[in-house]
Order: sequence, then structure tokens, then C-alpha cells
Amino acid sequence: MFVILRRAMLLAFGLLACQAAMAGERLFDSGFDHRNEGPYSEGDASRFLTQATFGPTLAEIARLRSIGYNTWLSEQAAATPSLHRPYLENLAAQGSDIYQNHRHEAWWQRAMTAPDQLRQRVAFALSELLVVSDQGGGLEGQPIALANYYDILVNGAFGNYRQLLEQVTLSPVMGHYLSMFKNRKPDPAEGIRPDENYAREIMQLFSVGLERLNMDGTVITAGGQPVPTYTQDTIRGFAHVFTGWNWANCPNTDGGNWWEWEWCPSGPVDWPNAGWDAYWLQPMAPWQTYHASEGSKQLLDYPGVTLAGGVLAAGGTAQSDLQAALDNLFRHPNVAPFVARHLIKRLVSSNPSPAYVGRVAAAFANNGLGVRGDLGATVRAVLMDSEARTLPTLASNRGKLREPLLRLSQLWRALDARADDGRYREWWNGWLGQNPLSSPTVFNFFLPDYRPPGELSTLGLDAPEFQITTDTTVASVASGLGAKVYWAWRGNSGSSPEDILVDLAPGIALAADPARLVDRYDLLFMGRTMSPSMYTTLVTYLATLPNTASGRRERVQDTVWLIQSSPEYAIER
Amino acid sequence: MKRRQFIERALCATAGSALFGAFAGKLSIAHAATLAEPRLLGDDYRALVCVYLYGGNDAFNMLVPRSGTARTDYAAARGALALPAASLLALNPGTAPSDGSAYGFAPAMPQLAALFNRTTTPSPLAVVANVGPLLYPVTKAQYQAGSVPVPSQLFSHSDQSVTWQQPSADMLARRGWGGRLADMFHATNPNPNLSMNISVDGENVFQAGNEVVPYFVGQSGAESIPFVDDQPWNAARRAVFTALRDAPQGHALQRQYAAVMRRSMNNGAQINAALDGETPLATTFPDTHLGRQLAMVARLMHVRGPLQMQRQIFFVGLGGFDTHDNQLADQAEQLAELDGALAAFYAATVELGLDQAVTTFTASEFGRTTSINGDGTDHGWGSHHLVLGGAVNGRRIHGILPSLATEGPDDADWGQIIPTASVDQYAATLARWYGVPPGEMTTVFPNLGRFNGADLGFMAPS
Repeated sequence: MFVILRRAMLLAFGLLACQAAMAGERLFDSGFDHRNEGPYSEGDASRFLTQATFGPTLAEIARLRSIGYNTWLSEQAAATPSLHRPYLENLAAQGSDIYQNHRHEAWWQRAMTAPDQLRQRVAFALSELLVVSDQGGGLEGQPIALANYYDILVNGAFGNYRQLLEQVTLSPVMGHYLSMFKNRKPDPAEGIRPDENYAREIMQLFSVGLERLNMDGTVITAGGQPVPTYTQDTIRGFAHVFTGWNWANCPNTDGGNWWEWEWCPSGPVDWPNAGWDAYWLQPMAPWQTYHASEGSKQLLDYPGVTLAGGVLAAGGTAQSDLQAALDNLFRHPNVAPFVARHLIKRLVSSNPSPAYVGRVAAAFANNGLGVRGDLGATVRAVLMDSEARTLPTLASNRGKLREPLLRLSQLWRALDARADDGRYREWWNGWLGQNPLSSPTVFNFFLPDYRPPGELSTLGLDAPEFQITTDTTVASVASGLGAKVYWAWRGNSGSSPEDILVDLAPGIALAADPARLVDRYDLLFMGRTMSPSMYTTLVTYLATLPNTASGRRERVQDTVWLIQSSPEYAIER
Repeated sequence: MKRRQFIERALCATAGSALFGAFAGKLSIAHAATLAEPRLLGDDYRALVCVYLYGGNDAFNMLVPRSGTARTDYAAARGALALPAASLLALNPGTAPSDGSAYGFAPAMPQLAALFNRTTTPSPLAVVANVGPLLYPVTKAQYQAGSVPVPSQLFSHSDQSVTWQQPSADMLARRGWGGRLADMFHATNPNPNLSMNISVDGENVFQAGNEVVPYFVGQSGAESIPFVDDQPWNAARRAVFTALRDAPQGHALQRQYAAVMRRSMNNGAQINAALDGETPLATTFPDTHLGRQLAMVARLMHVRGPLQMQRQIFFVGLGGFDTHDNQLADQAEQLAELDGALAAFYAATVELGLDQAVTTFTASEFGRTTSINGDGTDHGWGSHHLVLGGAVNGRRIHGILPSLATEGPDDADWGQIIPTASVDQYAATLARWYGVPPGEMTTVFPNLGRFNGADLGFMAPS
């Protein structure tokens, strides 16, 4: 419809030259035999790929159009996971010292080029739920361990959430980040009791949240007040459960001394020989002597709970108590709407309808084969829901503010950005205010229910990404994206072989015709949702730039940057 | 400001309605034009600076008993994490603290200890004991019986950090008491365009008002966008950029994004123009996260004339206080950073002649448990805080020091110490100094009347 509208407008503005081109695109548009599940247009395909990948490309739009959503999703489900740790190990094998910068580089390399885009995108969404960060827990010096943690999320993106919770819990990275590592049973003589950190956050942030939820994510109240999910007693119960875990290569036999617990030898291989830090890559192992086996433990109590009253009996081992506690968490009714809401917010919309949350939560609760916690089925439900697949109206206020990392990934994928040697040394991007596994705290870069003061609070609209969209970052992100387009382009004389350069040539080939140029980037960046007025404003402006070699380049640069810094683009619908 | 006008402001501040949200911009300009009476600068500047310690500072290892029962209780509870008495920097308060015990600062805080103990001129530094979010005064028996309401979700980072910054712990909207003060006072500033609330550490609840939206500045000034700077070679692109930014938007999130971008560009230009004309301060700041932030606050105060600001509220922050493990080493680093940055900032206010006009105070979501988990502590409740400035009744530990005894009268359970002063009282004492008249105090702090002593006495008369 926009194409037709636009043609009318363009006629009105007297820019007749584009007509033939637009007609050509429409023919191209209708040249495929559509599968009945869609996508029915290039714009729809682009919208879907914006939600499901790190950014649409023309090739992927065409491919999705030709194979349809279902085949595309099946292919993605079957694609081999592109892991991050091997990328770093390969660099290390070439003699490079490995820092967190290289881990960010690995992330960019996968985001830009990995065929398993959906898996990578879901792993990123999970990394904003099951949060660890190189900013805390003494993890800054452990880039390979963090990449290995990220690979747990990559491998588990379509797996079962129960298994993922266990792998995350036993990761030494999480163990350090939320201090379950070497958490020990009470020692009355020393005045020591178990650390509550992981007990609290696994409940509040990774599974059930603070308040009881209905399946559609709305809060259950009693007497007008939200019903809390747990109490301090529950936190203490889980704190006792999560005791007795140490490096996998510690001599975990009974009869050990306190100093063996505190000062576990690093392993059979000593620094700096290869493999000296391998224990960072293995799940933590139980050490029964330091596990709080004595005393029953109050776990979560909820309708249908397996353990009577949510109480775990005394006498378990570190391993059996952990299994029982994770089962107790995983079966809590909150987990389905909690995970559903998170994935919807990261992939589609900040303000889903309760019905949409409910449908996705139902897929989490039962994948159709009676299995609870199937993330693959959950992700599919998120993406294929009618609320995700239908372009929301402006007045509905659905959609979300794009995260800074996703704005840059979209730019680079749309413009095929590369360095000569294929690496992505995107090392110094403080201007984005965001890096993978690098949030300031376990509360991620933003809270899921953040609402800025003003109209959004008045309207009751969640807008998490606005928490990192300050007067400072709104400008620095626009400036940073501008630098990528205006300065870091292939062929610019000042560039070096290591620079990641966007390719402006395909745009320049269209740039004699401003209407086609704007339409191309409207498709790639906005799924052809640009308003007629924005379209007209851009086309009219571009026509004032000279139709010379440098003028055509400037037309491309201005088109891309003015789109990427506009309010219409910033909000993904 | 005339009393009638003040009441209008106060009413304005309570009307968190759609009307105010939608017309905030127009209102503030209209009020500035009709109500504000520009006055001479320099004789009537006043600023609050909130130093937020993210993660929950263990203030029981910041202000530490040196002798007596308090010391014995502390040493027993803290075990391996107890700071040795001999290592503490002794404090010599002019008035004995509530429990009569001797106290010291952690060894990482030599400059603040010296400011506290200063007698050559009145000391600008005080401690306020055991502050935390409360709905009502509550005893241990009442807490354990659940017979007196307490704030929901105690001991959770995300929730308690919000309740700490709000005017009352049961307020539903995400608004801070700094924002409420700004709703009242912003029209005092001759400049109606720059927010009176400026954060150098990003988004926070404290500064969010119903009407006033905080402005966020970077550590080295306002961020500008070179591709649309107001330069001749950018004119055409800038015009298109501005047209897209200011076009009517049909989606509320688009309007919000456009508003942030507009505010960023307009305020950024003003601030950078003012900073460009600044004579550098002689005071040097430590090159730390907090030092750089407070240096920017001092610079902005320095250019309050060109910016035409008479009332300001600033927010800075320092993370890393969530010391579940490795506490002794980690907290010492954090406190050292706090020590250096606060001391430099106080010196800068003296250099600017503003030491009487600027009050700096700490906030943090909770203190930490007196009990330990080995090498760290967990989420607590009440905590001690620092207040710094020429108008502070310094060299004192104000308020009621709690017992740190394990299972003692102030131990809620497992080492979470029940606050002996509410955040409402702490904030109201600062607000009274800032200029909120007694009659309007409960407009801002609705629960204040529930507590015995609305003013904790750590500030000089207004």
C-alpha cells in the first residue's frame, strides 16, 4: 500500500523518474510463489528478520520469501551452533593474547556472519536474562570462560530451560559472578552462614520473579496487594542448598581441610602451560563436606508443588539438593510467563498484550508433546504469534526501542560491513553504552518494567531500553552510527586494513534516483514501514544534493544515517 | 519565592496526572515567565548532591566501633571480616554518639576522617546513623510478628534502591524526592530550559519528578552530534534531521525518543557553551569514576551564572558495593575512591565560595548483614550515611546507633539491622535545609508524621 501511496506522492512532487523502477520492484515483489504462511511481502520478511536475526539483508529477505517462515525456522533449528569460545581459542593458537575485546570481536563475528542467526539472537536475549558480566565477579580477566558461558546459551537457545538453569548454576562463571562458588555450610564457631546472593537472584531474576503471576503475566493479588513469590525463609533455604561447590579439579574427597577448600590447587597442569585454566570451562563439582546437608530447607511453595509445603527434607547431598531445588524452581507456575515475557520483550515488543504472553507461556508450559520448558517451541511461539507477525498500528504503541547493539548490527549487516581480513575489531565502542555480557549489574542494562517519567509513565507503558537512552547516549549512539557511515566506508582513502568498512556501492548504484534509494533502506532498516511524510522529506532533501559521484555517495550516507537517527526508526514496530 | 507561589508549586508537584505529563514543557516555561523572579546570583545558590553507592554499602564496616560493648558485639558478629580496632581512623565527635562508644572510620578514609575531626573551622562532615526505608517505626518483636507494615520486597536490590530514592517507601510511581523538590523549585531558576536536576551517572529514580525530568550529562560535558552541529556545512542535513525529529509522531515511544533527542541537543549546546567559557578550577580531582563525575558537578556549579541556575540537584554514583565476597579488599578500594572524590569535591565548593550552599549526601539501597558468609556479607536493611557541606552540623554521629549484637534487639533476623531512622526523616532534614517550609513538608513526604522527629538535626537552620 505504501508503494502505491508513495507513487501518488511522488507524482505530486513531480519526481516521475522513479515510476518505472518502483513498478519493477513490485513485479519482483510478486514474482514468487508464496507459501501460505508468508511472508507476503518483502517488508514483512524484513520485519521478521529484524526480530529473528541481527538484521535483514537483501539476500535473506529474498530467501525467506522463497522458502517461507516454517522452512526458515526449521533450517535455523537444525543449523549447527556457531560457538564463541573456539573463535578465541583459534586466535590464541595464532599467538594472540586474549582479552574481553576479543570476546566482543567473537560476538560481532557471529552476529555478522553466522548462518545460525536465530540461535545467536536468542542466545543474546538469554544473555540479558541469565546475566553474568565482565564488569563484576572478578571475571574481567576470564574472556575465554565468559565465551564458554555464552556458548552454554548458544547451545541451549532451543533446548530445555531446566537444563539451561542447571548448566548456568554450575558454571564457575556464574559461581563467581553471584558467589555460589565455594559457598559453604554454616559454621557457628566462625559465625558463618551461607551466602544468599545466588539464592536470591536465581529466583528474582532467572525464574519466578518477586510476585505471583497468572499465565498471561498479570500479577496475582490478594486484598489488593501483589502476592509475593517467596520470603526471606525461602532465600535461606536455597542459600543452604547452594553450598558445597568448588572447582571440578579439586580433590573433592571427604576429610579435606579448610585450606584445601579455600586454596584448591589449580589442577594437574600449572600456569603457563596450555590448559592451566581448564577448570573455568567445566561445571563446578560438589564437595560434600562443605554442603549444608543438615536441616530441612524451605523452598518455593505454590499450588501443585511436589515437595509438601515446599520443604526439602534434611540429609541430601550437594547434588541431590541442587536437583531438587532446581526442579522446585522450574515447576513453579511463574516460570512460563516469566520467560515468555522476557523473550517477547527482547525480540518483539515492550508491551505485549496479556493474551500474547499467555499464548507463549502456554507453549513454554507444554510444547505440544507434554514437555515443559522447550525454548525452541517458546521462541517459535514468540515469533509466529499474530501479534508479532501483524504490523502494529502507531496508536497501539506496541513495538520497542531498538537496543544500541542491535542498531549497529543492523547497519553493518544491511551494508555488508567487513574488514579486509574478515575480523571485527569493534573494541572501543563505549559510545554504544552496551556490550555483550558487560552490563553494570546482574539487573542487565535495563529493567524489564522501566518507565521513564512523563507520557510513558502516564500511559503505563514499559520502555526498558529507555533506561540507557539518556541525553548523553542518545547523542553518542547517533554520533557513533554516523561515524560508521560517513567515515568508515569501503574506498575511503583514510581507512586501514583492520577497519570495519560499510559498502556504499549498492546504494550509490541507486542514488541517482532518490526515491529508489530511500525505498531500499526503508526496506532494510524499517521493513517498509516509513511514514509517507518521512519518505517525502528524505526524497525531497536528497534531490537537492548534486547527482555527482561524491554527491551520490553523500545521498547514500545521509539516507542511512537520517533513517538510523530518526524517531520512526528508533522504535521498531 | 512568595508563599502563594510556593503553594502553587507544591500543588503542582503532587499532581502526577496525565495533564501534567502532557503539558509539562509548556507549564514550566509559562511559570518561569510569569512567576519566577530573577534574583542576583551568588547570594542565593543552593544545591544538593546525591552520591549513590550502588550495591548496598557495608557501612557497618565504614563506621566501626573501637571499644566497649559495641566493639565486642561487632567483633563477634563480623568474625573474620571485623576491621581491627587499631587499624581504624579514630573519630572525635564533639557530642558523644547515642551509645557512648568510640568509633572510627575504615582505614581507607583518611581525608574524610580529617574533615570529620576538623576543629580549626567548623567540621563539614557528619554521619547519620542507621537509616533505611520504613513505613512506620518498627521493633524487632513487631517485625518478626508481622504486626507493623514494612516496605515490600525488603533486601532486594531493585526494589530497595527505588524505595530509598522515593519520598515514601510505599509510593507506587517511580518518582524521587529530588524530583519532587525540583517540581517545587525549578521556577526559581531564571533559565527555564535547562533542567534543575542533572545526573552525571545516568538514569535514576531520585531525580525524577512529576514535572521536572532530569538531564543527563557525561563526565566530560554534554555529548554533541558532529553531523548536525550548528555549523554552516551541516545546515541542510541539520534541517532534515530536525524536521524528522520534530515531526508529529503517532507512537508514544517515538515521541519519547524525539523528546530525549531534542532535550539532549538543546541542553547540550547550552552546557557546552557555558563550559567552554569556564576558567578552570584550581582544585584537582582524583581520576576515578566518582572523581570525574564530581569534577563535572563542580564545573557545572562554576558556570551556574551563564547557565542562570540558582537551585540545582545533582546525582553521581559509584558501583561495586555488593560485597558478597572478597569484601575486605573490594570495599577498601571503593571507600578509598569515595574518600578521595568527596574530599576533592568539598575543597572545590570552598574554592567556589559555595561550601555553605552545597550539601552532599550518600544513599545506598541497604546496609549489609552483620553476619557473614565467609568472605562477604549479604543484603541488609539499615545503614549509616555521610553528609558533607558547610551547612552540616559536622563532627557528630547523628541519630541512634543500633546494637550490632547477633540476635540482638536491632537484628531483624540473621544480621539484617532494623533502621533507627527512616529515609523519610533523612530526606526531610535535607529538604528543610534546601528550603521546603515546615507546612509543606508532608506534601512531599506523606509518611513523615509517622516518625518521631521529622528533623534529624544534622543540618544548620535553613
